[in-house]
Amino acid sequence: MSASLAAGLAPPSESATARAVHGVTRLCVNGHDHELVAGRDYAPGDSLATVLRERLGLTGVKVACDQGACGACTVVLDGRPVLSCMTLAAEADGCSVLTVEGLGEDDPLIVAFATQAQPGHGTALQCGFCTPGMVMTAKALLLRTPRPTREQVVEGMAGNICRCGCYPGIVEAVVRAGQMAGERAGEQAGRSAGERTGEPAGDAASAASGAEG
Amino acid sequence: MHESAPAAGGAPFVGSYSPRIDALEKASGRADYLADLATGMRAQGLLYASCLRSPYPAARIVSLDTSRAEAVPGVVAVLTCNDDEVRGLKPTNASWTPFFTASYERMSWPSYRDRRVLGDTAHWAGDEVGVVVAAETNEAADAALEALDVEWEQRPFVLDLWEAMEPGAPLVHPEINPEGNTFPPPPPLTGPTFLERGDVEQGFAESDVQVEFETSYHNPDHGCLETRGCMMQWDGDRLTCWTSYYAADQPRMSLANMLEMPLNKVRVMNPYIGGSFGRGNEADQPFLVFTALLAKRCGGRPVLYRMDRRQDFHDTRSPVLYRVRVGARADGTILALHTKAYSRAGAYADDTMGAADEVPREVAELSLAPIPNLRMEAYCVYTNTIPGGVKRGIGNNELNLAWGRLLDEVAERLGLDPVDVALTNMGNPWVSRPDESLAAVLREGAGRIGWDRRRAAPADLTAERAGGPTTGSVKRRGLGMSVHNTWHAAWQEIPRGRVQVRLTLNPDGSVVLDAPTAETGTGSNSCTVFACADALAFLGVGAADITYLAHTDTDRGLKDMVQTDSAVSYLQAELMPNAATELKSKLVAHLARLLEAPEEEIDVRVGRVFWSGGPGEGRPLAGILMQQSDLGSIVVEVEDLPPAQVTGCPFTACFAEVEVDTETGAVEVVQIVQATDCGKVMYRAGADGQLIGGPTMAASEALLEQIVYDERTGLPLNFNWVDYRMATLADAPPVEPVALEVWQGAGNHPASGLGESAVTAAPGAIANAVHNALGVRLGELPITPEKILEALGRGRRAQEAQPVQQARPTQNPGAQP
Repeated sequence: MSASLAAGLAPPSESATARAVHGVTRLCVNGHDHELVAGRDYAPGDSLATVLRERLGLTGVKVACDQGACGACTVVLDGRPVLSCMTLAAEADGCSVLTVEGLGEDDPLIVAFATQAQPGHGTALQCGFCTPGMVMTAKALLLRTPRPTREQVVEGMAGNICRCGCYPGIVEAVVRAGQMAGERAGEQAGRSAGERTGEPAGDAASAASGAEG
Repeated sequence: MHESAPAAGGAPFVGSYSPRIDALEKASGRADYLADLATGMRAQGLLYASCLRSPYPAARIVSLDTSRAEAVPGVVAVLTCNDDEVRGLKPTNASWTPFFTASYERMSWPSYRDRRVLGDTAHWAGDEVGVVVAAETNEAADAALEALDVEWEQRPFVLDLWEAMEPGAPLVHPEINPEGNTFPPPPPLTGPTFLERGDVEQGFAESDVQVEFETSYHNPDHGCLETRGCMMQWDGDRLTCWTSYYAADQPRMSLANMLEMPLNKVRVMNPYIGGSFGRGNEADQPFLVFTALLAKRCGGRPVLYRMDRRQDFHDTRSPVLYRVRVGARADGTILALHTKAYSRAGAYADDTMGAADEVPREVAELSLAPIPNLRMEAYCVYTNTIPGGVKRGIGNNELNLAWGRLLDEVAERLGLDPVDVALTNMGNPWVSRPDESLAAVLREGAGRIGWDRRRAAPADLTAERAGGPTTGSVKRRGLGMSVHNTWHAAWQEIPRGRVQVRLTLNPDGSVVLDAPTAETGTGSNSCTVFACADALAFLGVGAADITYLAHTDTDRGLKDMVQTDSAVSYLQAELMPNAATELKSKLVAHLARLLEAPEEEIDVRVGRVFWSGGPGEGRPLAGILMQQSDLGSIVVEVEDLPPAQVTGCPFTACFAEVEVDTETGAVEVVQIVQATDCGKVMYRAGADGQLIGGPTMAASEALLEQIVYDERTGLPLNFNWVDYRMATLADAPPVEPVALEVWQGAGNHPASGLGESAVTAAPGAIANAVHNALGVRLGELPITPEKILEALGRGRRAQEAQPVQQARPTQNPGAQP
């Protein structure tokens, strides 16, 4: 409880608490609404990670330390990074949850982690078990800080563990994802402006995939 | 998504700086690991297994009543040490093999079959003993264990290495050695000396200087993000096993041998694996066997045994303490070296002898050939602690901590540069000295870190403090280095036997590659696919067009390459040119029939077929194959031994700069340069990843990680990731990776492994850098703030001894802590 609060989860609202008492937890996960009944769909003591993995089949959520010490289980809950192994499912009642499955394969972070290969920095993943948690921690960071510096990435992801030691590649990937998102937003704005003025516009998606190389 | 890889027909994929082939699958969360297969949604009827773990460091179950446990709702099956199928199992060892497939009879250490599967006797607190249950939920399984009525007979225990060696110490395994806790020497040895070269005493007598010291490498956990586990399911008399172990053939052999089943009745699969780092012993771990036996009682339902984080503190790096005596001439030439390796093996032998005897024996040949007089001894000692086993760089890290210290201390005593002492004294019998590879990694490392900034004589901070506060800053910097051979080159992998791969060309021109090896993150999958793409350039396919079968499956019939020795990166790649040649020849023969043209007049280039009488621009291969009558695939299977030519091996050097806070004792690694010669860089982005990740893990082991026991109760205190500290993203030291191609191996891809050696030299380099900064030597890992302060005479012990003088300690604790 305390760790999830520390990670940014607001206390349940009064109505959420009332529903939890009646044993119903409502989650909006990756844009889909779920109504989960305690005792039927989940046990009252189940963590959010357990419900996401076991009940909703979102196995991109990884549990590694099960103790809030490594960040592998991080999901984005109402825009904030939350350790899903340390959060009761019922605590997330009424919240919007984003897992790695909710990011498209053209999401700048997925693209950046998937294509990371920069001389002197290596790749952004090896075994890959920590990766979804890294991606989601970074997602929350980019929501707060759209174009983070390297220092801001290190600070924002300080608690995540990658035992393979891909840290430099991870930091570069997140910085690059921020830049990529910024470029896309710029192109999007340019296209909207172009639509208004009737000028031809580039395809933001294909431009972004060109940037992957 | 992988278009950044080189285009077909362009620059080769091998050696390129490309993304990993599995990066998108992993980044998007689609990659399946054991626990992802073993959810109730995906594994219908899944049951959860939980095993009793000893609450005592040494105890025996004297009575056991499972009736209350069996009555717990949801419990499906209970298996105990009193059941016939358990009692009938052979005693075993959890390290049958270092890197090839081994049967029970041919296991590495038959002298140390000290493990009983689900036995009644516990040898460490956490030992899996007595009872394992299967239930509908994890909670029910745990509740059943709580409901057991177990009567334990607690026995005397011993935790400490030296106490365990004393006469009268509690015996951990009297069935292995009734006289004491030290392992009996492995035949044909009859004593602790496993290597004797020249005349050591004569060498010491001729030496101008002698140095004696002690180093101690502890037992860090692997710390894999994914915990250990397996899932077992029976279909009639056939067993299927999914495991997070880094091989498939070995667990199949182990299960078949232990359960006395034919190999075709056991099927083993590896999904993706969330880190391995040599977590190697699970193939032969008792938990595989008892989970299989438990599942047999569960009517064909799958049974998952997956450790939680606490339980995953299950086996560790084998800790080794070295006592070293070295003699050298004034010019730095080592004339005699005598090492005694003491390993606190923990509760089971497993591969401890590999760390203390087998690996140092190999290093003596690969690195220490110039030393004319050499004696090496090994003492492996049972204690009632977590078993030591195999971790990335087994035995090498432990030895290198001593070797790095030796270079540094001999150099200091003689007023030399440790780089020169290394050049003088390291090499192997196959390459003339000074070894070019050794010189290259030392030159690169020294140049890039700015070795000339290193003060020749280490700071004598203790003397300064004795005379008063003469330094302007509380932070002191120092530089240190260490160097080691890499492993392994192809000739060292001969004991693996044949390497086997299969290529399938579908009629639409797409390719499937089966080169089985468990994917643990090493990057060998990318190396193999890149080599395949290069070899198949005639088909016009790129790396992204090749489907690589990432999950292993023994039913596919090909032998798997165990993820050890950092060698898989080139072993499978080596076969690709031959596989492509065979595929092309089979394809051309097939085309000859389809086109009714002579084979010798047919060619395939970049995906197009050219033949005499055909169109000048040729025709697309897929277009021809898709019009054949049966639409069958063309399949080739290729196998070969690794190239046997003895090429020696290259070297890796680690240079480190640290900053030590003399007030707090905190050590910050300011920079590491890891310079490795690997002959052929198979995959540059992967190589950099290994050369960064290795020292990162090593620095974490050297400075942060430590398993702590309560001496009174014999219980571990920090089997969790809050109290067992590992480097997070914020702790990671800056590492500059340098991958060189100086030495040359044999074969199509003349490479040496680099992933394990990348972890080996950093602890020694860091310890030497701390000495360079402070003038005190810390021989025992981890180098904690407490130890630094003690060494500087500022620690608790020193202050308690001299409370009045704590501000200005006058006692010089000396260079030896």
